[in-house]
Amino acid sequence: MSLKTLAAFAGFVFALLFGVVASAEEFNIFLKTSPKLELLRPFADPANISLLVTQVDGRPVAQGRVAIVLDAPKAGIFLSTDYPMVEGSRLLELDLPLRRGRAEWKYLFPIRGDYRLAVNFVAADGQAATKEFAVEVRENREKWLWLALFCAVLFLIGCVAGRIFTTPGRAGIVMMLLLSIAVVGRVGGHDGPAPTQAVPNPQSALEIDGAVVGRLTSLRWRPSDVPVVNRQLSLAITHLEKRKLMFAIDKVAVAGEYVLKFHYPDGAEYRVNAVAEASGHAPVRAERLVAVTGVEPALTAQLPALLFFLSIIALGLGAGRLSFRFRHSE
Amino acid sequence: MERTLVTWLGFSLSERLSFLIRSGVFLSICGATLFVALASSYPAVHDTLHNVRHALAVVPCH
Repeated sequence: MSLKTLAAFAGFVFALLFGVVASAEEFNIFLKTSPKLELLRPFADPANISLLVTQVDGRPVAQGRVAIVLDAPKAGIFLSTDYPMVEGSRLLELDLPLRRGRAEWKYLFPIRGDYRLAVNFVAADGQAATKEFAVEVRENREKWLWLALFCAVLFLIGCVAGRIFTTPGRAGIVMMLLLSIAVVGRVGGHDGPAPTQAVPNPQSALEIDGAVVGRLTSLRWRPSDVPVVNRQLSLAITHLEKRKLMFAIDKVAVAGEYVLKFHYPDGAEYRVNAVAEASGHAPVRAERLVAVTGVEPALTAQLPALLFFLSIIALGLGAGRLSFRFRHSE
Repeated sequence: MERTLVTWLGFSLSERLSFLIRSGVFLSICGATLFVALASSYPAVHDTLHNVRHALAVVPCH
């Protein structure tokens, strides 16, 4: 390598490194959630997420946009979550203008684990800063309790079976025991979707691609005004069966088309509402129902849970046999 | 079950082997039951046990 090339390469690396440091030092990006991070639970209530971009002196930046990318937690080593198709996937791609240095939205985290929120800020003068946040969402305690209870029941069934199988000639009881497995602690099906209101739906207002679980779906809002008017767009995505707000933005300044990408976490019906307001103009409302195509989890995601439950029954069998032999050896 | 095996094979089983066979059959039935209840996509079963699957935190659902 010639000296000239080496010098050019060193210069390029220096400029690159210096540029990153300089841009990172000129702005601070803060993340705030409500409820607090440690209180967030999957599929509970939507979190109010707020990003604050300030200059080095602490003053919020006057103008700029943030590009937000949210990635789901990676799959666990053995057991999966209840939405395995969501694990390790991209959940949200969003572009928001800053209002007094802030960008806010609501989001319902679908699964437990460590999310990765990447923020790319671009100021009005073209300066940029990026930051990555880790958002940990812990599982609902109630679910762990149900799992523990279910495991206890399985262990008990195994234990009783172990005792019976250690006793010769009691096949009739075995049949009764097998029938008892059919008892399931908490049975409940899909709830009916929430009633929807008829909303005038301008043809061009909302465009949503075919939604499939496991990947991002584009959601496009187009103004019907001619000429285009700057509007404040509010958008909400609601899970109709669970009657939960999944995502919302409130009064985001848009001039023309607005696009975001959203990952619908399960195969169900969602309602997307959009309201675009502008002073001196009537608000433009649009509503679309989205039937998301569900994807059955792969057998590799289902097997670990089944093996886990079977191993608990097997443990129960062993414990039952041991307890029977211990009692009769005395 | 044991009597049938004894009739078929013509010899009696040790208590330990008998326990293992019974346990194996029992675990197979339990596995099949758990698979149908927690992993099958048959709509009648899935829709009935949908909330149970989600309530257990580790059972995958769509």
